[in-house]
Amino acid sequence: MELLIQIIFFLLAALILGAGVMVVAVRNIIHSALWLIGSFFGVGALYLLLEAEFLAVVQVLVYVGAVSILILFAIMLTRDVSGQGERLLFQRWWLALLVAITLFAAVITPTLLAQSWNVVPPTGPIEPGQPTGIAGALELGRGFVHEFLLHFEIAGVLLLVALIGAIVIAFEERNRRRKVLTLAEEHELRKRREQTSDANASESALSAPGHPISQSE
Amino acid sequence: MYDVVDYVLNTTFNLGAAGWVVSLISYLMIATVLFLVAPLQMLFLTYYERRLIARMQDRVGPNRVGPEGMFQPVADAVKMFTKEDIIPAAADKWVHLLAPLVVVAPTMFMFAVLPWGPGMTPIDMHIGLLFFFAVSSISAVGLMMAGWASYNKFSLLGAMRAVAQMVSYEIPAMLSLLAIVMITGSLSIVDIVQWQGGLFISSSDVAGVPNWGLGWFVFNPVGFLAFAAFFIAALAEGERTPFDIPEADSEIVAGYMTEYSGMKFGLFFLAQYVLNFLLCAITAVIFFGAWQGPGVNELYALGITPDNPDGNGWFNVLAGVLGAFYFLFKTYAFFFVMVWIRGAFPRLRVDQLMDFGWKYLIPLTLVNVFSAAIWVGFNNWGANEGFGFAEPLGDLGRWAVAFVLTLAINIAAYIVMTRIYGETRRVTFDEQLADTAGLPS
Repeated sequence: MELLIQIIFFLLAALILGAGVMVVAVRNIIHSALWLIGSFFGVGALYLLLEAEFLAVVQVLVYVGAVSILILFAIMLTRDVSGQGERLLFQRWWLALLVAITLFAAVITPTLLAQSWNVVPPTGPIEPGQPTGIAGALELGRGFVHEFLLHFEIAGVLLLVALIGAIVIAFEERNRRRKVLTLAEEHELRKRREQTSDANASESALSAPGHPISQSE
Repeated sequence: MYDVVDYVLNTTFNLGAAGWVVSLISYLMIATVLFLVAPLQMLFLTYYERRLIARMQDRVGPNRVGPEGMFQPVADAVKMFTKEDIIPAAADKWVHLLAPLVVVAPTMFMFAVLPWGPGMTPIDMHIGLLFFFAVSSISAVGLMMAGWASYNKFSLLGAMRAVAQMVSYEIPAMLSLLAIVMITGSLSIVDIVQWQGGLFISSSDVAGVPNWGLGWFVFNPVGFLAFAAFFIAALAEGERTPFDIPEADSEIVAGYMTEYSGMKFGLFFLAQYVLNFLLCAITAVIFFGAWQGPGVNELYALGITPDNPDGNGWFNVLAGVLGAFYFLFKTYAFFFVMVWIRGAFPRLRVDQLMDFGWKYLIPLTLVNVFSAAIWVGFNNWGANEGFGFAEPLGDLGRWAVAFVLTLAINIAAYIVMTRIYGETRRVTFDEQLADTAGLPS
């Protein structure tokens, strides 16, 4: 059982890392987005292996179902998707590598040093009423509305601001919008044009001098 | 399943297999059965839909292959298999090949949490409902891949429409499910089905209601509004008429499927019908109690259950058969309604589709979440949560107050929203006309 889990873990790790490398290694930008989705999947499966079902499902829901779709939409609106004839590596690539390694080291070193290894995982069924760690939807929900209420609300307000901003940017004045009329609308339009021109004609006839009936309408 | 495999391996043959081997074998067996069930459902549903829509359009439908045309789907499948597989020269070959797989695989995953009968859920995840919809959202990636890889403007347009529609209608679907999850207090599909025992009133709300397995969610105002909104959203998710604009054949050929032929097209077709089956099934599960119905609980209580380990195994089988019958009956009834709607309504325009989703369904489902909170407050909360004033009413009285209040709120919301929505649509039509032609409105 232990061995099986380790094998699965290494397969998943290989998938995540391999897909991550492919994201930056392929020329076609759509392909790199698709590799990124593969990497997201691997992370979701890793959560599942850790028995954090809720996080795994949310990973799939948010990253695969929403973020990747947004990325794909955005990429399809850009030009030159294929990336033919572009260089993948620039002259100062070693500088970028250095910065990346430094940043990663800054994150990973404290983790490696402060981590106590070979912790025996809890065995046996979890007692009812005992907290199940961060994996449960219940604990996360409680955390959001009790301890981290302010953070949660600030994040919500930020998202709302972004939403309103998007509407302001994308908003079109109605009279600037070009619209193709349907047949029914075309018909309606013609009818109204005729009505107004009729009205104009009769109006001018009525207001002509010497006519006995004044504008009673 | 685990117990059966364990019994066969370790008691009958005395192999001494470890626990995880038994688990693996039993899950593999269940997965095999489910992978067989899915294509069979698709074969049946295509025949069912073609015969039904033919009746509605005053035709006969397929009636030549086998008795009453029963083997028509098999003939279609043979045709699909033997057709030439064409890949456009300009297509992105690998993405073109992978897209049908990415669309089909999630629909198969979704079977993992579907309850077929009492004790017949493949995996009882405690977040089963969320799993179902998270996995269903993956297929949008596959549609995008198909549309982009085909190198065809109709494919790309179809994929864009499909994804925009799926993403927009996921919101009202999720909001209507949120109301249900608030009432049951659990994301597990098994818990949601268990909640719906009773007789028109759920026995989880009012203790002591006779349990005939009829305490479904549609019988209360919150559940009914959620059901209506969810079913409309499900029509959009499954790309059924009137929301079939992603593959509107009079506008964009076949949408994202335009450049596919042979078995790859067959896979899209399979995914679509399996998805439709699953959407009907999940509607039946959440709002119509899945396998709940008169007799199932009584039979199951006589069988082998955790509470009753020395029951008779045959009663498990009987309860399972009756439960699966109720479940499939409800599912096919919903599929009938889908076909009926296809026979009755024309296709929506893209702007109408978006307006309806964002300006009508989402506000309505938000009001429904508010109603669900009232429902939970009156039925489940006590003095600790500030609902001590409701306690003298008794269980039934509290249920009645909650029923009347939520009914009033939901009907008022429906009327107000419908009027506002009608008003905006009328004004837009006239004003647009005026704007375009420069006429006074």
